[in-house]
Amino acid sequence: MILSKTKITVLIIGFTVVLVVIIKMVLSHLANPIDPVAARAKGSLQAKVKIVEFIDFECPACARGAIQLKEYLSQYPESMHVQVKYYPLMNVHRHALQVAAYAECSARQGKFWPFFDVLMSSQASWSQLINAEGIFDQIAQGAGVNMESLKSCLPREDVSATIMGEKSLGRSLGVESTPSYFINNKMVVGTKSLEEELNKVLPKRTK
Amino acid sequence: MTAIFFILRIFIGLVFIVSGFEKVISPYQNFLYVIQAYQLFPSWMETWVAMIFPWVELMIGIFTFLGLWLDLSLKGALLFFGCFVVIVGQALLRHLPLDQCGCFGEAIHIPPQTILVFDSFMLLSVFWLMRHFSKAKILSLDRHFNS
Repeated sequence: MILSKTKITVLIIGFTVVLVVIIKMVLSHLANPIDPVAARAKGSLQAKVKIVEFIDFECPACARGAIQLKEYLSQYPESMHVQVKYYPLMNVHRHALQVAAYAECSARQGKFWPFFDVLMSSQASWSQLINAEGIFDQIAQGAGVNMESLKSCLPREDVSATIMGEKSLGRSLGVESTPSYFINNKMVVGTKSLEEELNKVLPKRTK
Repeated sequence: MTAIFFILRIFIGLVFIVSGFEKVISPYQNFLYVIQAYQLFPSWMETWVAMIFPWVELMIGIFTFLGLWLDLSLKGALLFFGCFVVIVGQALLRHLPLDQCGCFGEAIHIPPQTILVFDSFMLLSVFWLMRHFSKAKILSLDRHFNS
């Protein structure tokens, strides 16, 4: 009888492991490839370290990660290629979708990076506001975005479709939290893991 | 009254199954991020915990649910809930910036304060089941094998 109990135990464990492996294989098979979006990419295309970041512009760790990546990029301009993808957490951050639309409309005018850099460095000042539209307008204006085109772009359905499409892409790749990064296709989540991984793949930094 | 023991055992098993399954099918890096937020383990240990813990959680859930090796799986559940209470409790005492506990991955968002109450209740429930072990074994595979 003990043997039967042992056998059933082994069967249950084996069945569970096989089931999980199959589900993981199916999920990875269903994952979509990451298409590069030039307007939201920076660095050399021949770079040996390619990074795709899925971020919510209102998430504090994403702002820290953006600043961290900017520093790395300034030190390794030839070795890194960074691309930003949208992953707005609407249930957590009230401005998540709106600010992503501002970013996308700025990107369509080729002004993503000047908008993004100021947006992330000033996150603490606008994330607490109930209505941050005024600040977003100011940042966009400062980044040289044409405001008339921006205002007509913001409500467009294809803008929200792009944002939500990238969020779905992230989900299909296993993204659950922000910031999530794919460094040469290896997933890392959070700024601590980002730094650890970058220190592995990039030559040691001089202090 | 006896049905309560059975329902409670099934519920505890399901909690572990849902929580463990969500973590094992998603990339371990997501759970690693949760572990890092608690700032409790050394860096080298965090990755191992992120990879192994969800599997143990899932197995405890399945075995508790089925009532197989129930004495061991209940001891495992007791240990896990005890650890959860300590881990979440220390995070709250240290005022760590946690919006949610991360216990169920992306599936369910629960604030740490709520999960602390829930885990404490579950800890007591497991303890209660262990005290009334013969009743907890109702409709279990253990009972089938021992009959």
